[in-house]
Amino acid sequence: MGAEGRERAWVRGAQAGRASDLEALFLRHWRPAFRAAYLVVHDAAAAEDITQEAFLSAVRHLDRFDRRRPFGPWLHRIVVNRAIDWARARAARPESPGDGLERAEAPERTAEGLSPQLVDALRLLSPEHRAVIVLRYLLDYTPREIGELLELPRGTVNSRLRRGLDALAEELGES
Amino acid sequence: MTEKRLRELLRAGPPSGELDAERRAWQVVAAAFAEREPVARPRRHVRALALGIAVLAIVAAAVSPPGSAVLDSIRDAVGRDRVVGVERAGPLLLELPAPGRLLVTSPSGAWVVNADGSKRLLGEAADATWSPHGLFLAAARGRELVALTPEGVTRWTIPQRARVREPRWAPSGFRIAYLAGSTLRVTAGDGTGDRGLARGVPRTAPAWRPGAAHVLAYATGDGSVRVVDTDSDRVLARVRPGGGPVLDLAWTARGRTLAVLDRDGVRIVEPEGATRRLSLLGRTGVSFAAAPRGEALAVVARSPRGSRSEVVILRPGSGEVRSIFSGAGRFSELVWSPDGRWLLVAWASADQWVFVRSADVEELAAVGEVSRQFRGRAAAEDGFPRIGGWCCG
Repeated sequence: MGAEGRERAWVRGAQAGRASDLEALFLRHWRPAFRAAYLVVHDAAAAEDITQEAFLSAVRHLDRFDRRRPFGPWLHRIVVNRAIDWARARAARPESPGDGLERAEAPERTAEGLSPQLVDALRLLSPEHRAVIVLRYLLDYTPREIGELLELPRGTVNSRLRRGLDALAEELGES
Repeated sequence: MTEKRLRELLRAGPPSGELDAERRAWQVVAAAFAEREPVARPRRHVRALALGIAVLAIVAAAVSPPGSAVLDSIRDAVGRDRVVGVERAGPLLLELPAPGRLLVTSPSGAWVVNADGSKRLLGEAADATWSPHGLFLAAARGRELVALTPEGVTRWTIPQRARVREPRWAPSGFRIAYLAGSTLRVTAGDGTGDRGLARGVPRTAPAWRPGAAHVLAYATGDGSVRVVDTDSDRVLARVRPGGGPVLDLAWTARGRTLAVLDRDGVRIVEPEGATRRLSLLGRTGVSFAAAPRGEALAVVARSPRGSRSEVVILRPGSGEVRSIFSGAGRFSELVWSPDGRWLLVAWASADQWVFVRSADVEELAAVGEVSRQFRGRAAAEDGFPRIGGWCCG
């Protein structure tokens, strides 16, 4: 059975009430989804909330889920769109200066395994540009699929990818 | 930059805290999955049959003595149990059986319910808590902690970087503890002096010890419980229950004893620091609440297979465990009335609230369609309301 077949079987099992199948789906998708959210919002707590809410939404709508469709794109659509919304809202309402504890937390909130330069460079992009970069180069969606997930024309996706790549290359000195 | 290089950079190393986040999220997701009501997909030709059998089952149960009081579930033609709840539940909450006011949160926001059943929607809020005398309430509104009057007037707000949850107002009235993301924070009752107390805490609500001192118990990320004086930051006790994640914390009325709920049971922490476990006899703990007087704890627990819920009264002194009410499906939480005579049990699977006279279940009253009663104007809102407290008779 291929990966898609296994995933369909997990969805079927979860719909039938088998927690082990839901756990298999969770383990397969949690980390990429969390990382995608993190790379868009740059806030570990927010990424955790967004990813967790997406899985809770999956649980709530499990019975209505069309098991012929792949689970990943459905989950990623929720995660990335919510991450964009969160990042936009954050940009619209900058935080007030935090207290000592919040500052002390800041180093933990950067992604220690990720290149700090990459994280800083991504931060310079808009949430929409970060999202297409993450969908393309982390989650491996094609520009057509990204267009469907974000409800964007393919040309817009391509231009955002190009601009995003150029900006990252310039910022990272790898042009 | 090449596409290959970018792929490598995006996939390098885990984001900080990924493992802990994954573990926390799985606990929440698994719990939600365990609580869901699987919806069978009945074929069209069995729907009429299912309806007929359901009607017959209701009639049969109603005319038999045991079924005339509580009819908690029926089995339909597609073989699944349907939770019905208490028979003859009232369609509207017309009055509370004891003095005081309820604080409720639903997808449409926070509500105050008066003793005569009238209620007021105060606006958006996910979690909320009464101040000790019911003069104010504190609510989590997205990434803000908000203090409101019961009339809905905002007195102050504190913005945070992460979602605010589980505010708890200290019995003195001068402090509020709450979670902002995974940070436990404390602020003064007037919204000043907000500060972080601990990081990396799970989403278990903290619990203030009754009394004038600002002593707070909270769960930590390593599965233990810490008791601190929040004014001096002095750690008064550390306990490791050892029964999995801490689900709930409560102090008995006089503040002498701290109770810690996990899935295996209740661990009692005595004043001198000694601990002992009270078993739930095979049941799984969900949440609990300490009686406003005396030492009793009312526990929501599930049967071993999870198909039924029970309300169990525990008496830490004697170790007595007594079931006072049970039903099919899920009870989500309970609260005591301010006079300690009634328990309000949230029967989420039946969409009912059940008021149980706590002593010997001498009386029982139920209200149905609770979700509808706390639905705002937006038709798409869905979700069973949470009870923030029953205050101040």
